[in-house]
Amino acid sequence: MKSKHFSEHESEDHGIDLAPMLDFVLNLLIFFIITTSFIKEAGVTVVKPNATTAENRESGNILIAIRENGEIWMDRKRVDIRQVRPMIEKLHIERPDDTAVILADQSSHAAILARVMDEVRSGGIREVSIAANLGD
Amino acid sequence: MLDFVLNLLIFFIITAIFVKEFGLDVNRPTNVNQPDNAESKNIQIQILNTGEVFFNNRIVDVRAIRANVEREKALANDIGALILADEEAQTGVILTAVDQVRLGGVYNITFSTSE
Repeated sequence: MKSKHFSEHESEDHGIDLAPMLDFVLNLLIFFIITTSFIKEAGVTVVKPNATTAENRESGNILIAIRENGEIWMDRKRVDIRQVRPMIEKLHIERPDDTAVILADQSSHAAILARVMDEVRSGGIREVSIAANLGD
Repeated sequence: MLDFVLNLLIFFIITAIFVKEFGLDVNRPTNVNQPDNAESKNIQIQILNTGEVFFNNRIVDVRAIRANVEREKALANDIGALILADEEAQTGVILTAVDQVRLGGVYNITFSTSE
């Protein structure tokens, strides 16, 4: 009798207790959902200029790329210069703390860079920075 | 359910984008008229479409901007810099000039293009 009871108790303890692990995994899941930043990627690769004094842009979540042929890319789409302002306005309303970073190709022209900067500023985002690679 | 949650977890780990952009802050000229006497103290850097750089109307090498800025800053501490680029000047040259000005200790940089 006694030995039977013992074996029953043994069979109940098989396997690990999943409850704490489930809690842990759920916490991790929530952490990753929250920290997934809503970065609007430009969608193209550009050759960025180098700069020694470049600073990290923590809230630079809106990326606008200017390719060497003058194309402007935002949110993985090619956009016209006149579309930049309404898109910036929309993003600025959604997330007012975001700032814009312009990824200008190092052989793109100054005129396009200046126009994009003006469009972003008129769209409501005052802090615009130009992306650069850190170092020489 | 555990499998499902784990799958979700792996999905979010993979799709979490860790973009870290490094950038330089540059101002644009505002419509507000500046007093003329304040403007004359500022450093003026012109960049041509050929990549030539003029520092206060003297032609200089782009790497010599830092030394020139340091000298100007020693003369007047609260100066700003105006970078006047040709419309077809390359962004790489402009950014190098901005970097040089910042290395020289002047962080109030305005970027404008000439029509």
